Amino acid sequence: MKRILVLLLTAGLVLSGCGKSDTGSSADSSSAAPAASGAKKLTIGLLPKAKGNPYFVSVAKGAQKAADELGDTLIFDGPTNDDASKQNETVENWINSGVDVIAVAAEDKDSLSTPLRKAEAKGIKVVSFDADVLPDARSFFVNQATPQGIGYALMDKAAQLSGNTGEFAIITASLTAANQNEWRKYIEEDLAKNYPNMKEVDFRPGNDDKTTSQTVATELMSAHPNLKLIMAISSIAVPAAAEAVKQAGKIGTVNVIGLGLPNENKQYVHDGVTNCVILWNTGDLGYLTVQAADALVKGTLKPGDKTFKVGDKSYDIAGDKNDNILLGAPTVFDKSNIDQFDF
Amino acid sequence: MSSSHKTGGTKALLRSHEFILFVVVVVEWIFFYFIGTSKNFSGHTVGFGTLDAQFDILRHSCEIGLLALVMTPIILTGGIDLSVGSVLGFAAIVFGKLWRDGHVPIPEAMLGALAVGACAGGLNAFLITWLRLPPLIVTLGTYSLFRGLAEAVTHGADTFTGFPDSFNFLGQERWLGMPAQLPVFVIVAIAVWLLVHRTTFGRSFRAIGYAPEGARYAGLPVERRIALVYVLAGVVAALAGIIYTARLGEAKADSGTGYELFAITAVVLGGTSIFGGSGSVHGTLLGVAAVAILKNGISLAHGPTEVADMLTGVLLILALTASIVPKILSKRPARVQTVPSTPQPSPTS
Repeated sequence: MKRILVLLLTAGLVLSGCGKSDTGSSADSSSAAPAASGAKKLTIGLLPKAKGNPYFVSVAKGAQKAADELGDTLIFDGPTNDDASKQNETVENWINSGVDVIAVAAEDKDSLSTPLRKAEAKGIKVVSFDADVLPDARSFFVNQATPQGIGYALMDKAAQLSGNTGEFAIITASLTAANQNEWRKYIEEDLAKNYPNMKEVDFRPGNDDKTTSQTVATELMSAHPNLKLIMAISSIAVPAAAEAVKQAGKIGTVNVIGLGLPNENKQYVHDGVTNCVILWNTGDLGYLTVQAADALVKGTLKPGDKTFKVGDKSYDIAGDKNDNILLGAPTVFDKSNIDQFDF
Repeated sequence: MSSSHKTGGTKALLRSHEFILFVVVVVEWIFFYFIGTSKNFSGHTVGFGTLDAQFDILRHSCEIGLLALVMTPIILTGGIDLSVGSVLGFAAIVFGKLWRDGHVPIPEAMLGALAVGACAGGLNAFLITWLRLPPLIVTLGTYSLFRGLAEAVTHGADTFTGFPDSFNFLGQERWLGMPAQLPVFVIVAIAVWLLVHRTTFGRSFRAIGYAPEGARYAGLPVERRIALVYVLAGVVAALAGIIYTARLGEAKADSGTGYELFAITAVVLGGTSIFGGSGSVHGTLLGVAAVAILKNGISLAHGPTEVADMLTGVLLILALTASIVPKILSKRPARVQTVPSTPQPSPTS
């Protein structure tokens, strides 16, 4: 009997020991949270699509910076892979553990909206970022980029690199891809309005596949000998086009720009094949999300506001229902700054 | 061990795997109660210690619990079913497709999904009992087959949503104060417990797992009994698929991915020998509780949830060790059916 009891106790101690060493920091934060009720410190739950995804890790960095400045506690948690049910469970656990505000990037907007409505019913504020949920399940969506912002930024950069004159071609994902077609609309709007001497000679799909995109880029160069620039508007096509240009020995003759992740394109940018990639600054996205979440609880951000001020920076609020906080113009990642980003 | 109350009174009970696991679950619960519960600004208790949190833990573990329940008799017969998570996903898709594209009313769509589950289990049973293929291989195949079917039906992208609130109620709301899916789970749990522990069927599962040839010589309809447990698993996996769909308000092709492994973990943690022949349904329920409290407890305590899988592994190893060490210490010859980590001697009778 005694031996069994000793064993049980040991097992229990070991078990609680394991738990403690792994959850120690959180225990501290949860006990510290309710301490000061005067200067209200908020607990903010930040839910990514996938926790280990470098994209969201870089969002979390910016979010943590905002939380530190505001004195809030940030919980960055969610699925380790893109798992919609795990997102729901995380939100439900946050409702029970009493966070003040939840910020989500939805893997699946329909299913995640359900627990978020529950959270709102319990007085927990909700904002979304990166990937929106249904509008009735959150107060604001922090919109990282409008199609117009992306389209104009790409076209302006293309024109600038080509000296406002010459031929360029576009590689897209597929001809039916909704996002890409939306961006193309604004690229061509900007082209028609502002760059009469530029000419879009081709628009081809790379099917979000590296090999296909690379082949398409090679074909574009042989079909259009005067081609000055390839604009790739699917993230997979950017490094693929760069590889094609590099292999064709046309570095410096044909420029590559596109919408892509800094990490995938760093090498090509340093080699001078790709001039730049354009994307939003993920750290800024996390920063603005937490600022908006905090302000929403404190009442300094209310539905119906036209702008949202953080320090001396002002962000526009737009959209059909006036509930999209716009991060602003996309960031250009080129030789000068691309090494500062890791996603 | 379910037979312990017959063999040795209190001492044997205290030494049983289920009792040790019960203590582990209690220790775990108390631990998370202390680190996961706090008061918010308005003085309300929040976190692990609230009834809401406890109910949500039940809600989150309902589907895995159902799968673990029906996995228990399968493992008792010495088999395994890796396809239950895929059947869950496929049944969810069939349910969504029938309702949205087939304009079938919800109750009939549910029956359709359950029928598909039964057919899926039937296919496993056919391949295992008639063609005498090993369960591991058969269900590894159907694991891909059923998931693949779910993906093929939806082209991997289509999802079914917009179900009526009366259906989503089953997964999301409270009924008489408790999660609406809890009564379903309790009914299935009682049914499986009675089947395994209070019927000749149940005893035959253990006999088959302990020595299939012996069971055959003893006149047991081994094939029919084995077929039964796989069909049962298919039906209950489909039921879990319906509940999962109601909980998410959406049917997706990847529903329940990986759930088969959580279910097997819970069963083995609950003391059922992976080689068959011994184990219990209440042990499985404790196993489900141990895993569910761990996963949700870390999340409720705002801890790093990515270590949950690691700790589940540690828990599994600890629980198995804890159940075997007393027997070694007491220097009594270990009874074969209570040693989950030792292979059965070959049943040459």
